Amino acid sequence: MIDVDIDQLSFTYPSGVAALQEVTLYIGAGEGVAVVGQNGAGKTTLAKHLNGLLKPTSGSVRVGGKDTRRFSTAQMASWVGYVFQNPDDQLFQASVKAEVMFGPLNLGWEKKRVEEYAARAVEMVDLEKSLDHHPYDLSPGERRRVALAAVLAMDTPIVILDEPTTGQDFAGVELVGRVVEELKSRGKTVVAITHDIDFCAEHFERTIVMGGGRVLLDGPAREVLARADVLAESYVEPPQLIRLAARLELGSAPLTVEEFVAGLKRSWIEGKS
Amino acid sequence: MIRLDRVTYTYPGTSKPALRDVSLLIPEGQFCAVIGPNNAGKSTLAYAMAGFIPHFYRGALAGSVTVDGKDMRQTPLHELVLSVGLIMQNPFNQVSGTKFTVREEIAFGLENLGVPREKMVERVEEAMALVGIGDLAGRSPLALSGGQMQRVAIAAILAMQPKVLVLDEPTSQLDPIGSKEVFSVVSALVAERKTTVVMIEHKLEWVAEFADRVVALKGGEIIADGEAGRVLGEDPRVIEAVGQTRYSKAGLRARQEGLWPAGGRLPVTLEEAVEGFQEVRRMTEGGGRRMGID
Amino acid sequence: MLPGIWTSYALFLAVLIPLAAVGQVFGSLIRIIWKVVLPFAVSVFLIQGFLWTGGTPILHLGPISLKQEGLEFALTSSGRILIVVGTFIWFTLTTRPDTLMTSLAQRGFPAKLAYTIVATIQIVPRFQARAAAILDAQRARGLETEGSFRKRVKAIVPLVVPLILSSLVDVEERALAIEARGFSHPGVKTSLVEIPEAGWEKFARWTLLLAAAAMIGFRVWFEFSR
Repeated sequence: MIDVDIDQLSFTYPSGVAALQEVTLYIGAGEGVAVVGQNGAGKTTLAKHLNGLLKPTSGSVRVGGKDTRRFSTAQMASWVGYVFQNPDDQLFQASVKAEVMFGPLNLGWEKKRVEEYAARAVEMVDLEKSLDHHPYDLSPGERRRVALAAVLAMDTPIVILDEPTTGQDFAGVELVGRVVEELKSRGKTVVAITHDIDFCAEHFERTIVMGGGRVLLDGPAREVLARADVLAESYVEPPQLIRLAARLELGSAPLTVEEFVAGLKRSWIEGKS
Repeated sequence: MIRLDRVTYTYPGTSKPALRDVSLLIPEGQFCAVIGPNNAGKSTLAYAMAGFIPHFYRGALAGSVTVDGKDMRQTPLHELVLSVGLIMQNPFNQVSGTKFTVREEIAFGLENLGVPREKMVERVEEAMALVGIGDLAGRSPLALSGGQMQRVAIAAILAMQPKVLVLDEPTSQLDPIGSKEVFSVVSALVAERKTTVVMIEHKLEWVAEFADRVVALKGGEIIADGEAGRVLGEDPRVIEAVGQTRYSKAGLRARQEGLWPAGGRLPVTLEEAVEGFQEVRRMTEGGGRRMGID
Repeated sequence: MLPGIWTSYALFLAVLIPLAAVGQVFGSLIRIIWKVVLPFAVSVFLIQGFLWTGGTPILHLGPISLKQEGLEFALTSSGRILIVVGTFIWFTLTTRPDTLMTSLAQRGFPAKLAYTIVATIQIVPRFQARAAAILDAQRARGLETEGSFRKRVKAIVPLVVPLILSSLVDVEERALAIEARGFSHPGVKTSLVEIPEAGWEKFARWTLLLAAAAMIGFRVWFEFSR
């Protein structure tokens, strides 16, 4: 069971900025977690501790029981995949196919397995038609999908998504949503850092709100996203439907349209006093 | 103020036109949002309005584009920038790279235009006040957050006092606070100075709240054009291309349960949704029956 | 050029050091000279000192010996490098690139060229940040960047190519942004910041120019008259 055990994690950058302060949390295998909060709250810093890109100044981070301080990021790449925000920071191969195969090849798999997983990953992001294209011949949105496929192909038990919906159009956001659901159905742990609070509400059961390097709130999305007061501390607005439900005094915190309408019925037609 | 007349444009080295037979008229002082999927031609439209097509991006341009009375083809680019300012997605790429303070960065455009010093100082102060970044004046433009940098870019363009401001996905790299800052500034400009604004955006809720008019593009063509409520509410072509706000989706689903008037317009903003549902509640409380059923 | 081995060092101590102190860059200057000039001086000393053919040996170290002529040559060369490089470093430490650019532009230096130079300077921190981001991203894909020589060589392409490609993508946008700020507007550019020039600066500038011209002229004449 590849879980994530973070114990009293504190981290200070060499520049002196204390980015994380005594963060303690546990993420079980297969959980879907969204981390929200304003820029500078420590979200990305936290995420980078999960694959060893950053090592704790104090406290510990254990992934699948292994202490991240004892492993290099490249070694941890077989358990934790990290999809960065800017695909242009990764793409260097002459074809989408080669690009997607790069990660698995680094993991030392044999060619047949690499090709199989790469093909599946490319399919998940709807880029089968562009397999032989040069990534830079594709549009920026398509390049983001290539970068996503490149990490999916590594089939890691934990996948971290850094701002997966930034700059995406409607179809792009839907695709990322589908990928998240597919990963969850396969039992993968998905951790997303996101500003898109509506995306967060629709796809992640658990929400962690960070502010000033600390965890302000951690719990089921339904509960956390309804706490407008705490969210405001990290300059986060609740999702649209929760705001609407609050204004209409429905007493519910709906994460989807279905839930909203159900809440409407309950409050107005059925359980009315 | 902005007039596109049957514009068709193809980028050099490509065969498919990015814009097909697009005609559009945007009056002075209007806040017009442009929405659409990626590769619909939105950025191309922005470049055409700012004169970068045909002057920067050469390619096959048919039809005419006129802004502030100036014909894009006949007028040289350095004259066009006096009428139209362009703000782009990436705040980092809009910093000139040669100035060490925000104040000087904002003056960069004026220096290029040869504006005399006293006037420059005045305009720089004015631009900073407009955008609310006076407190950043002495800082290095590269040491700012994305939202701050984007506001500096806006101030830098505003200092040049264009009549038209074209913004290409200005909030896409920003967090919600940064996005709100940009929308507020732009909206104030329209309200107070009658600047004509064309903003390309994906964030439908913001568009619905701030824009007077919404133009939807797909495959280089305009598929819808009108007031936000109409375009974003129920047009199936628009929904297929860019989706809907959650408020509209909620209204649609509620309608299926008889909790929203069958013929009523779907809400596109929070306020519209609140008002609409409160009205529904009043009616269900009054008659005790669901709407459109029984 | 300058007679004697020690003239360069004398100049360094008498002119450059005081100038650095006045400009408050003494510490930085010494630090950079230490890193740049010292390795050069040491290698010249070793090579010329010990491998000078013929000459007068002044110190024996087994089969090889330190030659006086070699030592003199090393000292002279190092001295010259010290002055030339030191002056250049002092110049970059005390001059703001944007002020330099404006100053040059006002004297007719092509604006685009001046821009290229100054913008390049500001780009460096951004480049470094991007290189770090690329390193992170590729390591997260399993790329080993430490360890054997072979591993490090294999890591070069995945680290350098994205840096170049993404910079190229940026270039277009940056060029567009500059145009949007009227960069190619014809006519004289003005400046927000006034570059003050004290009377003595103009005098100093002309005197130095004439002195340099005179020295070059003298040297050329000297060579030709031999």
